[in-house]
Amino acid sequence: MVGAFLYLTACSFKNRLRRRVQRLREPRYVIGLIVGLLYMYFAFFARRGRSRSAEGVSALAAMAAPMQLFGSVFLLATAAIAWVWPGGGQPLAFTRAEVQFLFPAPVTRRELVHYKLLRSQLAILFGSAIATLVLRPGSLAIGWTLMAGLWVVMMTVRLHLMGVALRRASLAAHGASGLARHWLPLAGVIGAAGVLAAAVVGAWPALRTADSGEAVFGALQQLAAEGAAGVVLWPFRALVRLPLAASAAAFWSALPAALALLVVNYAWVLRSDTAFEEASAEHAERRASRRAAPRAVVRGGTATPFTLGPDGPPETAILWKNLILVGRYVSLRTALRLLPLIVVFGLMTRSTQAGGVTAFIGALSLPLAAMAVLLGPQMMRNDLRQDLARLPMLKTWPVRGAALIRGEVLAPTVVVTAVAWLLLILAAVLGGGLKPGSREATAFVAHRASYLAAAFVVAPAIILSQVVVQNGLAVLFPAWVAVGASRARGIDAMGQRLFMLAGILLTLVVSLVPGVMAAAALAFLIYQLTGAVPILLSALIVALVMAGECWLAIEGLGRILDRTDPSAVEATE
Amino acid sequence: MIDVQDLTKTYGAFKAVDRFSFRVDPGEVVGLIGPNGAGKTSTLRCIVGIQAPSAGTISVGGHDIVKAPVDAKRLLGFMADEPQLFEYLTVMEHLRLTARLYRVRDVDARARDLLAELQLTGKEHALPAELSRGMKQKVAIACGLLHDPKALLFDEPLTGLDPLGIRHMKETIVARGRGGAAVIVSSHLLHLVEEICTRIVIIDHGVKVADATLAELKAHPELAAAGSSLEQIFLAATAGDS
Repeated sequence: MVGAFLYLTACSFKNRLRRRVQRLREPRYVIGLIVGLLYMYFAFFARRGRSRSAEGVSALAAMAAPMQLFGSVFLLATAAIAWVWPGGGQPLAFTRAEVQFLFPAPVTRRELVHYKLLRSQLAILFGSAIATLVLRPGSLAIGWTLMAGLWVVMMTVRLHLMGVALRRASLAAHGASGLARHWLPLAGVIGAAGVLAAAVVGAWPALRTADSGEAVFGALQQLAAEGAAGVVLWPFRALVRLPLAASAAAFWSALPAALALLVVNYAWVLRSDTAFEEASAEHAERRASRRAAPRAVVRGGTATPFTLGPDGPPETAILWKNLILVGRYVSLRTALRLLPLIVVFGLMTRSTQAGGVTAFIGALSLPLAAMAVLLGPQMMRNDLRQDLARLPMLKTWPVRGAALIRGEVLAPTVVVTAVAWLLLILAAVLGGGLKPGSREATAFVAHRASYLAAAFVVAPAIILSQVVVQNGLAVLFPAWVAVGASRARGIDAMGQRLFMLAGILLTLVVSLVPGVMAAAALAFLIYQLTGAVPILLSALIVALVMAGECWLAIEGLGRILDRTDPSAVEATE
Repeated sequence: MIDVQDLTKTYGAFKAVDRFSFRVDPGEVVGLIGPNGAGKTSTLRCIVGIQAPSAGTISVGGHDIVKAPVDAKRLLGFMADEPQLFEYLTVMEHLRLTARLYRVRDVDARARDLLAELQLTGKEHALPAELSRGMKQKVAIACGLLHDPKALLFDEPLTGLDPLGIRHMKETIVARGRGGAAVIVSSHLLHLVEEICTRIVIIDHGVKVADATLAELKAHPELAAAGSSLEQIFLAATAGDS
């Protein structure tokens, strides 16, 4: 059976690689690959050379001590969360095809577990290699020990999480009695957390009076290595020691303990005979549905943004549809995710003397508005990027390509503009965080209305321009754009994304030039005549010129879309 | 109503459809059959404007699908084999969107009738995720029929339907044909084609090999020897390709 699994794994790897190589026949993918490789070279190798010559020591050696402490705590937290987090301990993840081929086949559960371990090797080896590159070990020998150590850590974590998943599935299968037996791991986690908390509380006076960060860190290191806390953290520290070994001798000395942990977890997983097939099959279905749909959950029953009448341009219908997409995904849970951020903001405000929450929000709103304008169009994808997967259906609609694109770009523009306007109003009303009474604050207040109006006018034009570029790229280079919920992978895809981001920013700058030049010329003329600078009029000219550019671009893109063959929109892996 | 002349569709060096011509008049229900890879789907996708023909012309109600796509598409209804729905729109919202795109004024009344005809009453506010495969297929069909198209194309219309749904679907197709629509049904279910189609077009390797009524096919000198059922005729015409 192992032969069949090896064959499946090798074929999958080979064919995936072949598909990526085949993609390189198209120049756009070659460009993407070159950009991706250059990025990796400058990000890892060139930086590594510089750091060696400048500092003479590797980043790894410098970070070994903090990484050992935080790494072991992180591993403890990972294990604890897997045991106690509701919904944690996901069943073994199989794809739909694996469920269909392997589950009905004469394969034992133990063999299925081995198969999953085999399949995880590629990801673990790749992850170890990338982490080794990022951590930049000082020499090749240390590089190999680092990579091997990382493999042992990742493999042990993988085995432990697999064991937790099987154990929790087994407990759940036993109903109430099984859940009652869950008290043991729960007690273990609570006990470990209690031991660590007690150790920190005990050492708190010393930590409080420590006169430097180094002293605090030294005390924490001592805490983690001694007493009850040292015992709790020992397995995690033993694992983390391996990749952080500063020499081959240190590596060999740390290896037996780490390997023992790996073997214990492996034996634990193999001893389990939990019937995970049903849960895994359900999980595979859910995962496949999530890939097909843009998000996991769509809530029904929410009101539509407005009533769609039978008459009017098709653009409004597409806007209506895409606004519904936003409404159906925004939920209380989404709002609650922002709660920690708000709490942190509140705490930060309390710690500053800037005049409380209102001044803080005022100061924060302006950069957030700028972020919304510049990053919002990248994040808000309720447009053609989302619909491109349904291009065959869209092409049956009696709608010109240009009208379709116009309708598609409206929704993200409307939503991001609304957010930007709200933040601009907050920034203007709450004073922009300037020190009350200062000259800047007085000038700002005097011209506040003009600035606000100008920003109100220019913001949608800048947002629209970027959304048009994003959708234009989807029309011109459909294979470069993440279609629907899927996302292309690989160095070439990463290069394409970097290339696209640079292209979007460049296009934004270029699209601003004609409007800014026209506005500057008019403003200069009016200034010469009246001595005043017409801020709002200048902003209006910039916005109108950009809107005109967008209109022309959409008309051109529409003609291309009309000729686009849906087969050009390839499915991403 | 649907006039296909010398349609050729190539994918790189591969010729999927080769100088394929046929027409469908109002009131006709034409069965388009052929083995896997014969060029049926490529033909349908060219007719509805999803793909552009490599050569040849296609007109719907006198409108060229390439030169006047919007006018041609306004007359068309295409029911694909795999229902494509927006997972964030309810059944009724799909119909409202379709009504706006095709300028259907009395959407509420038409939607009510269609939902009843397709046994979807009570599912107006359901999202696609809450529907079975067959129901999704019916929603896609309801959207395709909402604007009362003059030309209808069904690609494997019975996929995913239960026995009652199959019977209703056959009645729906026949009723549209009798109502004056030009209908094309592409299916591997030869008994369906035999039962509801007034004429049969057989395509193989992108080339038309037959275009006649079932009676004419049965009387054809080269095919008559194969037998009297459409299955026997089809296998003889395509030389057992399927």
